Amino acid sequence: MADCGGAFSFVDRITEIEPGRHARGQFTVPQRLKAFSPCLVAEPVGQLAAWVAMSHVQFRSRPVTALARETRIRADVAPGKTVDLEIEMEDCTTAAIAYRGWARVDGFTVMELRDCVGRMLPMADFDDPGAMRARFETLCGPGASCRIAVDPVVVDPDITEREFQKRLCGAIGIPASAPFFSDHFPRQPVFPATLLLEAQIRLAAALAAEVVDPSLRPWLRPTCVRDVKVRTFLRPGQRVEIATELLSARGTTVEIALAAMADGKRVSTARVEIGQWEPL
Amino acid sequence: MEEIPRIPQEEIRAIYPKVAQIIADALDRDAEEVRLESYLMDDLEAESIDFLDILFRLDRAFKVKLPQGRIIEHARGDLSEAEFEHKGSLTPAAQKRLQAYLDEVPAERFRSPIKVADVPRLFTVETFCKLVLRHRAAQA
Repeated sequence: MADCGGAFSFVDRITEIEPGRHARGQFTVPQRLKAFSPCLVAEPVGQLAAWVAMSHVQFRSRPVTALARETRIRADVAPGKTVDLEIEMEDCTTAAIAYRGWARVDGFTVMELRDCVGRMLPMADFDDPGAMRARFETLCGPGASCRIAVDPVVVDPDITEREFQKRLCGAIGIPASAPFFSDHFPRQPVFPATLLLEAQIRLAAALAAEVVDPSLRPWLRPTCVRDVKVRTFLRPGQRVEIATELLSARGTTVEIALAAMADGKRVSTARVEIGQWEPL
Repeated sequence: MEEIPRIPQEEIRAIYPKVAQIIADALDRDAEEVRLESYLMDDLEAESIDFLDILFRLDRAFKVKLPQGRIIEHARGDLSEAEFEHKGSLTPAAQKRLQAYLDEVPAERFRSPIKVADVPRLFTVETFCKLVLRHRAAQA
């Protein structure tokens, strides 16, 4: 397996591809990581969809995250585990893609994404089309082992405002430089939407912990993320204000609204359900 | 230039409540705020990502294959790209075509020259009702 060197490249291998329609692939969570956030499991699924779309349009454009109607999360993925990825394209044009996808470990579906939509933007604004084509060929052939570099501190929000059991606000400072910016994207650094979501979910989990019975706190996990809408790119050095607000609490499940703002503009919105995973 | 068939108002009125609710959900607004003649960008503060969201929701709700992210391309009809756009602005033929396609929009909103990037400012709730009906008819 080649070394692709990508600090934010989450597909090691594409094992099956039907251009513009369907693909399967694999990603192994590096053993050296202490943990792998459930949010980040969405990244290899989305990246596999991106490869299918980019190859379908001959690397003239690339998708960027826009909408994800529903992401169901059912289990953690331990470092060292191989995640089997699958995506099914529902629409794939030069303007937009729509797809659904799955991540499985040892045959168990750890994540399912439904109704994901991405905008297609000119590839040359983000990546070198030739380099992307070459990487795609490697992924479809021997595969590539990538060097994921995500500092967990990046996504640990500072709490700025608290209204007990109702609302919790925080902020993250996007670093001016980070290894993943060289990969996301080489010609235009953009803070990955999955990392923003990770920060938002960490804050939401803290709010959920205020609401549920204390005995349940150790078992709280994100179980479903709905209506993710990413409105604008976040750049290196930006400060992002994150707001979480309790929508409902039923039994062991808490639903929380997520919103992010930067420089006075709405960046993203979503809703997350925090509860307990079904037993494996 | 191909002729654009007019869509009867009663057909538009029939699907408007459902379309309005979908647009309200996508923009996180109350359905009462979404009138048939509301401009999505100017009145409802929609952004480009919202158009993608609305199209996807309409696609699912009405089970029609809508042109994801390509409303302008659909409005262009049989005009070539060169006939439609010159240096980022609509050509006179394109403006005529667009006025026929968006016949719900008052003529005074079409101030020449119209930049292609500003075309979404002309989209109203009725535009989306008609988009659904046109695609539904085409796929029938």
